[in-house]
Amino acid sequence: MGWFSKQKEMDDPTKAPSRSSRKQCWESRDLFFGCLDKINIINSLDPKHQKAIKASCSAEEAKFEEDCATSWISYFKEKRVVDFKREKFLEEMEKQQK
Amino acid sequence: MKPMVRKTTVVGLKNCYRPLSISAIKCQEAQKDGNGASGAARGKKPLSRIPIGAAETHTQKIDTGSTIEFTTWKAAALFLLLGGGVYYFFKNEKQRLEIEKEAEANRGYGRPLVGGPFSLIDENGEPFTEKDLLGKFSIVYFGFSHCPDICPDELDKLGVWLTELKKRNINLQPVFITCDPARDPPEVLKEYLSEFHPDIIGLTGDYDAIKSACKKYRVYFSTPPNVKPGQDYLVDHSIFFYLMDPEGQFIDALGRNYDEETGVEKIVEHVSAYVPKADREKRKDKWYSFLF
Repeated sequence: MGWFSKQKEMDDPTKAPSRSSRKQCWESRDLFFGCLDKINIINSLDPKHQKAIKASCSAEEAKFEEDCATSWISYFKEKRVVDFKREKFLEEMEKQQK
Repeated sequence: MKPMVRKTTVVGLKNCYRPLSISAIKCQEAQKDGNGASGAARGKKPLSRIPIGAAETHTQKIDTGSTIEFTTWKAAALFLLLGGGVYYFFKNEKQRLEIEKEAEANRGYGRPLVGGPFSLIDENGEPFTEKDLLGKFSIVYFGFSHCPDICPDELDKLGVWLTELKKRNINLQPVFITCDPARDPPEVLKEYLSEFHPDIIGLTGDYDAIKSACKKYRVYFSTPPNVKPGQDYLVDHSIFFYLMDPEGQFIDALGRNYDEETGVEKIVEHVSAYVPKADREKRKDKWYSFLF
């Protein structure tokens, strides 16, 4: 990511993330994703959304990236897209069954 | 008619052969009886089905209703008794048999499909092999300590299961095998697992030992190639709980579709339906073995 020259605690390979640090990361993630919901952005990895994210959710994104391990950041961002697509798919399946 | 009667009398007299033991009177009586019988026979239709000399009342006795009624209530009682017994037996056995069948199918024929020998070390650095699974039910899970969300969720669920099962007097041996031996040495696993449930045993080893153990359990995992030292990464892996019986044989795989309650129910079902191998084989010789 490049913004952090110092290694984060979550990235320490010699230590497993603790329950509290996981919780902290998940909370920051939910705040960031809540902000993305407000500006109707699902895929935060898409370059075309970067400007809007910077404008409306930069604080939330910074907190999220600070609290979560580097590998988790992209994982959660990708998961948000996958979860959204799955939910939409299930909704459509249900509609078809009716 | 007249000459016929005379003829019969003549025949009768002629036929009365008298050995020393039979008196003349008896011989005459026998003759009279013979005449009587032939007289009765003459009164019947010429093609009567009743054999000459047979008791005519015999066939009529069979037609009386009393005997049939007697067998009916006896049969009804027998039917109810047997039927009730069989129904009770099947009602009790049906579910247990289904569960057992499922377990039997998962055991496979001969070589087990899931599980097998492995040689790893536990969170205290002590050796742990497949032999340590013997004598108790075990639940095996694969994961890694730097897992973002699924493994911790699943391990929390496992903790709930273990507590609930303990209340029901079922003691499972929970085993966590890491798919990320590079970042999960014994001391890291010990600290990591202590946050979930005190009973969970954490297993690690060198990369080849882990790879081999995962293969035995049909667990797919992939560590990204070219990881630089100190770089953070994720490990893809399959997420199932493997329930193993006290003989170290695979019973069932529990996926994420089992929640805090249904998982407990499923494990309880399997544990109570479990029959040791020796008993299973003994039962194959029994008369009702076709049921299993």
